[in-house]
Order: sequence, then structure tokens, then C-alpha cells
Amino acid sequence: MAIIDTLRDRLRPAGWLWPLTLLGPAGLWLLLLLIIPSILILDISLIPGLRLGQPQTGYGPGNYIQILEPVYLAVMVRSLGFALETTLLCLALGFPVAYWLALRAPRRWRNLLLVAFILPLWTSSLLRAYAWVTILRPSGLLNELLTSLRLPPQAWLNTPMAVLIGLTYSFLPYMVLILYASLEKLDLRLLEAAADLGATPRQQFWRVTVPKTSPGIAASCLLVFIACLGDFAVPTLLGGASSMNISRLIYNQFLGPTRAWGFGSALSMVLILSVSLAIVLLLKYGNFTLRKASHTQ
Amino acid sequence: MPLQYPRHSHPWSSLSYGRRRFLRASTAALTGLALTNCHSNLTPGSSDQKRLYIYTWANYTDPQITKLFTQRTGIQVIFDVFDSNEVMLTKLQSGGGNAYSILYPSDYMVAQMVKLGMLTPIDPDRVKGLQNLRSRWINPPYDRHNGHSIPFSTGTTGLLYHADSAIGQPQDWDFLWDHRQALSRRITLIDDMREVVGATLKSLGYSYNTNDATQIKAAYSKLQELKPHIAAFKTNGFEDEILSGDLTIAMAYSMDAMPLIRANPRLQYLIPRSGTSIWTDTLAIPASAPNLEAAYQWINFMLEPEVAAGMTERLSLGTVNQAALDRLSGEIRNNQSLYPKAEILANSETIQPLTPATNDLFDRLWTAMTTS
Repeated sequence: MAIIDTLRDRLRPAGWLWPLTLLGPAGLWLLLLLIIPSILILDISLIPGLRLGQPQTGYGPGNYIQILEPVYLAVMVRSLGFALETTLLCLALGFPVAYWLALRAPRRWRNLLLVAFILPLWTSSLLRAYAWVTILRPSGLLNELLTSLRLPPQAWLNTPMAVLIGLTYSFLPYMVLILYASLEKLDLRLLEAAADLGATPRQQFWRVTVPKTSPGIAASCLLVFIACLGDFAVPTLLGGASSMNISRLIYNQFLGPTRAWGFGSALSMVLILSVSLAIVLLLKYGNFTLRKASHTQ
Repeated sequence: MPLQYPRHSHPWSSLSYGRRRFLRASTAALTGLALTNCHSNLTPGSSDQKRLYIYTWANYTDPQITKLFTQRTGIQVIFDVFDSNEVMLTKLQSGGGNAYSILYPSDYMVAQMVKLGMLTPIDPDRVKGLQNLRSRWINPPYDRHNGHSIPFSTGTTGLLYHADSAIGQPQDWDFLWDHRQALSRRITLIDDMREVVGATLKSLGYSYNTNDATQIKAAYSKLQELKPHIAAFKTNGFEDEILSGDLTIAMAYSMDAMPLIRANPRLQYLIPRSGTSIWTDTLAIPASAPNLEAAYQWINFMLEPEVAAGMTERLSLGTVNQAALDRLSGEIRNNQSLYPKAEILANSETIQPLTPATNDLFDRLWTAMTTS
């Protein structure tokens, strides 16, 4: 009888139906569009040398071993490098802007300024990348400006620099938005207290503002990093003859003449796993700083 | 995107119009992967005989022609576009193309799809106007006796260049290597490994379709010498730059080059001496076609000399239809870039499928080259 009582307790609607109703739609969404496809990709990635329209050739890690070839590792390193550089550039450019918007800008202008910053996101990323072609090409706006200032024109387009400019431009609004949300919540009384206790503005910034907003910094950096890693249009349009990156490589495996779906899936899995790992690290790091911050309070 | 293996693009009748179409084609390329799984709106009932779903190149949709077809037959035409043969093949193989009754595969893709059993054999009794085909296309090598496809348009790959450049005028692919210092970063090549490596193979006296790894590696090392001087690999998107003179020379498809020459008469198009690739786009009926009747009506419509002439002229294509060719103005008919004499094409080839091992080699070399 006791068992039935426990069961009844467990099955009481209020106990489990509520969370299920709340989480159900999102859970189903994740299951159908994230978890099942990922499992399918994992499955395909374990069939060495699988090509679409050809019979299966057994299971094994062959596709993953192929990734370790120097030619493919170089693509990975290059993509990671671009993503890292862009993230750092976005942080360096975005933090001052977000800081000013959240703490210094006149309150009544704040929303308008924020909208102005996000406005470019309303156009297609492809159009924005193409706009940079007109700016950066040899006879483009940037070189016209340099010439009018009596400076020598430079080769901008079709260089790694152009990719960095394009990526930074694309993802800066995300960086600013998240940092703004984080900085806006900063308790100004803490800064006042620090000042009262003799901290210089520099000390206030590094010992109060930065630690208190570090979860926001980590979140925005991670978002920009992940988005850069998967970007396709900017390196293709601006990168010139050396525009290979991991998303392009995956695309080539699925839709190029090799049609090597097994290898392409293995590359996708590596991308998915490294991004997941980064998110896990963020969650840990974010919690850590929160705990540390609350501990010091 | 695509973007790998993009074949053609779209004409540039005027610049602003052309730019809009470029963006449309690029969007098709960059979303190619997503589109391959997107067919929610394409599930017509089998009884729906008044609709014809066509899967074609991003720029082969001519609204004028479509309107005429609907007026005549009462059949509504719905287009979906792709930017490469491989995107089309992938969509069909993954089951996303069951609604289509007409496809526009290129020559080598016809051969590949016939091998995979994906095309309906053409019933010659239901096709009118086959006798109008130019001799080269009566029994083409990629599809003997046009058993599974009807050739529609043709073109070449060549060099589009500024004729008044101080460097001189090219005769052959080797021009790029001979003047690579002077042309440095003023060159674009097509974003297609088969075209780029193929042209290099040709310049060494080999075939576009060789499976010999030694020859391919020789071409690759030759290409490495040119690589630092190449501004970009672009099938489209180089147009503004060559018109403004930022580029001196670009490898381009004939159909993309012609409108640019109209826009800037100082530009010229060359079919290199040692040979280039000739392509043919065809009309084919997939094995899964739900509306055979409408498909044959479309094929017959496209074979009509008036229709074929109008369409190939507007899109700067070469027509494979003699009756259509006869209707074109003398200026177009005598355009050596669109309708070259047989001796100019003597060394040229049709790109054909390679063995899987060669495809892998190409992919490795291409990845290495575009990474460094």
C-alpha cells in the first residue's frame, strides 16, 4: 500500500505536469531539431568514406582520422584564429561603446542610441558583406579617402585584414548588446563605495566594473566566437584567394564534387563538440565568477 | 556560395539590375545547403495537372517566356533555383525534389544522373523540333542520342580582359603566368576547382578530365606559382571590379562575360588557344516527375525556335537550336565568343565526372591552396 501511496504522490499533477507543459514545446523542438539531427550526423560520421548514393561501408573512426591530416588541421587552425582575433577586436571596440551607452550616455538618448547600433542587423548579412567590397576594393571609398588625405592607397580587399574587418563589423552589435545588458545592471553604489575607500578610477574599473560584468563579457565573447566560426559569407566575399574556412570546407564535402558526406559529418561533429565544450566552460566560468562575486560582497 | 561548383550565373543586362540578380544568385548559393532540405511548399497532389514545378539555374527564369507558356497552356509554372549541379543532385537524392517535373542539369550531371537511374527516358515521339538541333548536339557524348535529356544552351569558359591594358592581349592561359608580376592581384579565377585546375592542365597540354595524379599534381604546382597573384576565386561578384578597372583579367563563363562587354566595350573575351571547357545545359525529366504531360509541353515550348532564340539572346547563352540561331541578328550570330568557329574549339573539352579518388585529390589540393 505504501508503494501505491508513493506512486500517487509522485504522479500528482502539480508535481510533474506543470514543468512538462512549460518545457514540453521547447524540449520537443530541441529533440526534433537538435538532438536527433546531431545523432544522425554522428551516425553518418562514423561510416568511413561514405558518399551519397553509395552503399555503406561499415563503422569506424576513419573520417575523424582524416581530419588530422595537416591540410585539414590547417583549415581548423585558420578558422579558430579568425574567430579568436575577431572576438578580441569586438571586445576591444565594443566594451567602451557599451560602457558609454550604459553608464555615461544621457538616459533619454540611451534607447535610441542602442537601436541605432542594432539597426545594421536589419539588413541581410550578405548585403553588408557586399557593401564592404565596394568600400575596400582598390578604387573603393577607403582608398579614395586615403588618396584625398595624400596617403598611399592600400590593398584591402581579398586580404585576411578584409575578413577581420567584415567579421568584426558583422558581430560587433551582438557584443555591444550583451555587454550593455550586463553593464546596465552594475550597481553604481559599489563604485561610489570603492571611491569612498580611496580607489582610483582605474582601480574601480579593474577591481569592480570588470569582475562584476565578467559573466557578460564571457557570454558576449563566446557568442561572437561561435558565430564567427560558422560564418560563411564574409570570408567568401572578402577573403580573396585564401578564403577557406571550416564552414566552407564542410559545405564542399556535402555539395562539392567529392560528395563525402561521412567526412563532412565528422567535420560537423568536431565543430559541434568544440562549440559545446566552449559553452560548458562558459557555464562553469560564469558560475564561478558569480560565486566569487557574491562571496566578496 | 557557393558555393562550391557554381556553374553559371545570370546576365547583366544593366548594372543595377545585374547587381540585384547577383545578390539573388549569391543568396541562392549561400543558402544552398538550407534550401536542399526545404520543400514544405512543394507537395502537390497527383491530380494537380495545372501546375508545373521546375528546378533550374538561378538566372534561367525568364518571366516573359513563362507568362507566354501559361497563356498558351493554362499551366502555372513554379520555379525553384539552384546554383550548382551538385546542390540539385543532393536535393533530389535526399527526397526533396519529388514535386519537380523539369530539371536543368548540365552535361556531366546528365551522365551522372542517368547512371543513378534518376532521369525518365525521353520519348522521342512526344518531342517536336529535335531535327532543329545543331549537329554537335544531335548525339552528344554525355547522353547518347539525347536519350534522357534535351540540350538547351551552351557556352564556354574563357578570359575576360581589358583590351587596352599595357601588358598586351592574351592568346592563351599562359598569359597569366607570363605576366603574373604585372597582373598581380588584378586577376580573378572562377571559384571552381575543376575549371581552374582544368585550365592549368590544358596549359600543360593535358586533359580537363585526366585521372592521372602526376599530371594533376604538376598542374597544382604550376598553379601555386600563380596563386600569390590571384586576387580571388570568384564565379560572380567580380563584375564591378573589372568594369571599374580594379581587375585587368578575369576567368569567366561566356554568358557572364557578354553583358559586361556590352557595358564596357574595352573589355574582350578570349577562348584560349590550348583549349577550354565547353558546357551544355539541358532539359530533363526526373524519374519521380508527377506531371509528365506538362513536362513534355515545356520541353516542346523551349524547343520552339522563337522561344529558344528570345531566351538565349536575353540570357547571353549560345543556343544549340539551328532554327533559333537563324532567327538571331547577324551581330549575335557572328559573335565569335558565343558561336566560335569549330577550329577555335578544336582543343576544347566537356568537363566529365572523375573517379572518387581523383575527386578526393582535387578536394585536398584545393583546400590546401585556398587555406595558405
